[in-house]
Amino acid sequence: MANTARWMKASDLQLAREEAKLPALELHRLKPFFPNGLQRGSLLEVNGGQSSGRTSTSLYILAESISRGETCACIDLNNSFCPASLAQAGVGLEQLCWVRCNGNTEHAMRAADLLLHAGGFGVVLLDLCGARSKTLNRIPLSYWFRFQRAIEHTPTILLICSELPQARSCARYSLAMKKSKFHWKGDAPFAVLTALESTAQNNKLTSIRPEPLLIQTGEA
Amino acid sequence: MYASLSAHHASASLLVEVASRFSPEVELSAQTVTFSIAPLRQLIGSPHQIASEICRAGYECKLQASLAIAANPDSAILLARHFRGVTMVTPGEERLKLASLPLAELFAYDAVKLAPNLLDILLRWGIKTCEDLAALPEKGLSERLGAAGLYLRQLACGTVSRPLRLKAEQTSYTIEKELEDSLELLEPLLFLLSRAAGELCHRLRAQSQAARQLELQLLLNEKPLFVRLEFPVPLSDPRTILKLLQLHLERHPPVAPVRGFRLHLEPVEPQRVQGGIFLPPTPAPDKLHVTLARIAGMVGAENVGTPVLLNTHRPDAFALTPLPSARAGNQPVPEMLRLAMRLFRPALQAQVQLVHLAPKNIAASGIRGRVLRHAGPWKTSGDWWTTASWTREEWDVALDDGALYRIYQESATHEWFVHAVYD
Repeated sequence: MANTARWMKASDLQLAREEAKLPALELHRLKPFFPNGLQRGSLLEVNGGQSSGRTSTSLYILAESISRGETCACIDLNNSFCPASLAQAGVGLEQLCWVRCNGNTEHAMRAADLLLHAGGFGVVLLDLCGARSKTLNRIPLSYWFRFQRAIEHTPTILLICSELPQARSCARYSLAMKKSKFHWKGDAPFAVLTALESTAQNNKLTSIRPEPLLIQTGEA
Repeated sequence: MYASLSAHHASASLLVEVASRFSPEVELSAQTVTFSIAPLRQLIGSPHQIASEICRAGYECKLQASLAIAANPDSAILLARHFRGVTMVTPGEERLKLASLPLAELFAYDAVKLAPNLLDILLRWGIKTCEDLAALPEKGLSERLGAAGLYLRQLACGTVSRPLRLKAEQTSYTIEKELEDSLELLEPLLFLLSRAAGELCHRLRAQSQAARQLELQLLLNEKPLFVRLEFPVPLSDPRTILKLLQLHLERHPPVAPVRGFRLHLEPVEPQRVQGGIFLPPTPAPDKLHVTLARIAGMVGAENVGTPVLLNTHRPDAFALTPLPSARAGNQPVPEMLRLAMRLFRPALQAQVQLVHLAPKNIAASGIRGRVLRHAGPWKTSGDWWTTASWTREEWDVALDDGALYRIYQESATHEWFVHAVYD
C-alpha cells in the first residue's frame, strides 16, 4: 500500500495557491462586493447592459489603481473610452496606455495578450462592450485560460468589461450589474441628472446578496 | 618618473612620433609631449640612459627640443619649457630646480585653474619667482587665496601629483556596408542589421553609453530610404533595438532591392533608475516599448498612446501621446463612483421628434425609443475665432429601452446626433 500521506487533495492545492503574496487592490466604494479587495494576478469580469454602470465601475477600478502610482492599460474594442470620464475621478492619465481597436476583436485579444505578457501593469481593462455576441462567442476558451496563466503570480489584474460573462470559470470575480433607476433633481426644463442607481452582485461570492450601488454624476 | 619634450619650432605630430617610440600613452599639450618612463626602467635602464635614448630618437627624427625628466608630469613640462637641453631632476629636488621660474610661467601653463588677477596680487606682494612663492606658508596662502593659491604653491614646489591626461579615441557609432548582391527580402537584411546593431551596442556598452536614436539609410537602386527611430528611453540591448527596427521595416518595407546600408546610433548617457521594494509595479521601459510597437503595427500607431486632454471645452477633445517613461507619483484616491460615458465615435446621426421643443422620440443606428425623461438643453459653443467653430444644444434623455443618452443638435445645420451613452 502506498503512503497516502504524501498525496494532497486538489482542493488543498487550490488553497495553497490562493495564499496572497502581493497586497490586494482595495476598492473602498466596492467594499460590499469585494470585502478583501481584488487579489493580484486575478481576472475580474464586470457585466451588464447599457446604462447599468459597468463602465463607471470599470473606470473606478482603473482610477483606484492609477491613484497608487501604477501603470494601467485600456484596450478599447469600439473606440468608446472617454478619457474625460476617467479624469473626472481626479487621477492623471499619464500612466494610462490606451489601445483603440476600431471594432476588431482579434486585434483587441492580441493586444491584451501582448500587454499581459509584457507585465508590470496594475490593471489591464479589456473593454468588449458593444461587440456582437456572435463575434464574442467565437473567442476560444483557451484565450481566457492563457490570460489567466499570464497574470498568475504577477501584480496585474485583468478586468473584462462586457455585456455577458466571457471568461466564465477563468474569472476569480464576476460582478453582474443591472440598472435600477436614474436620479433627477428638479423638473423640466431645469431638471439635472444626479445619479444612476444600479444593483450589483459578485456572482463568485454567493454569500453576498445583490446590493444597490449609487453612481453619481457630481451634480449636487 | 615622467619625461617631457618641448619644442617651439617643431610640429606636434613630430613630437608625438618621437614620444610614441617610448610609450603608447602620450599627453599632448601646447608644443609639449609628456609620457611615463617608469616602464622603460627595466627595458633601457637608468633615467640617464633613457634620456640619452630619447635624445638619440630625437636626433634621428631631426627634432630640436628640450627634454626634462621629473617625478611628476607638471614639473617635467614646466622644466622642459623653461630650460634648454636636457634637465634631469631626482625625486624631491623639483623645488630647487623650479626655484628660478618666473610666476608668469605658471600662469601661462595652467590658465584654466589660475585666474590672471591672482598674478597681480602676488606681484603686488613682491612674489616674482617660484622660490618666493614656495617660501610662503601653506596655511596662510590657503586662507588668503583659497584653493587656487594652494595649487599654485604646489606647482611651484613640484608636488602636484596627477595621472597623464590622455586623449581618448573618438568612438564611431556608425557602420556602413555595401553589398555585393542586392537583397530583396527583409529576413537576410535583418540578419546583416542584427550583426551591425550588435557591434554598435557593444561599442556603446564599452563606453558606458546607450542609444536614444537610430538612423538607418538603406541604399536602393534609385532613391535611398531613411529610417529614423527615437526611443523613449536610452537602449543598449541589440535585441530590443533590432526588434523595433524589424517592426518598423515590416510596416514600411523598402520598395526596391537593398544594395547597402548605413546604421548609426546616437549615443547618450544611459538612464539609471533605482528601483524600490515598496514602489508599485511598472512595465520595463524597453519591453513596453517593443510591446507598444508590436501593437502599433497591428492597430496603427495613431491608435496607441496615452490620452492627453486638450485645453478646450470642445467635447471629446484629446490627443494621443507616447507613454512617458517617468514614473508618476501617488495621486488622490477617487472619492466616489462617478458616472462615466461611452462615446460614439463618430457621433450617430439621429432622427428626433420634438414636442413642445423637447425630444419625444429618437431613432438612430441601433437606438430607437420614446423619451421618458429629459434634461436640457445646455448650449455650448467654442472656437468661434477659428474655422473649426462649434455650437450645439445638448440634452440628457432617458429612453424606454432603459438607457440614458447624451444627444445634441448642431445649431448651424439643425442636425441631431447621439454623442454618448451614460454607463
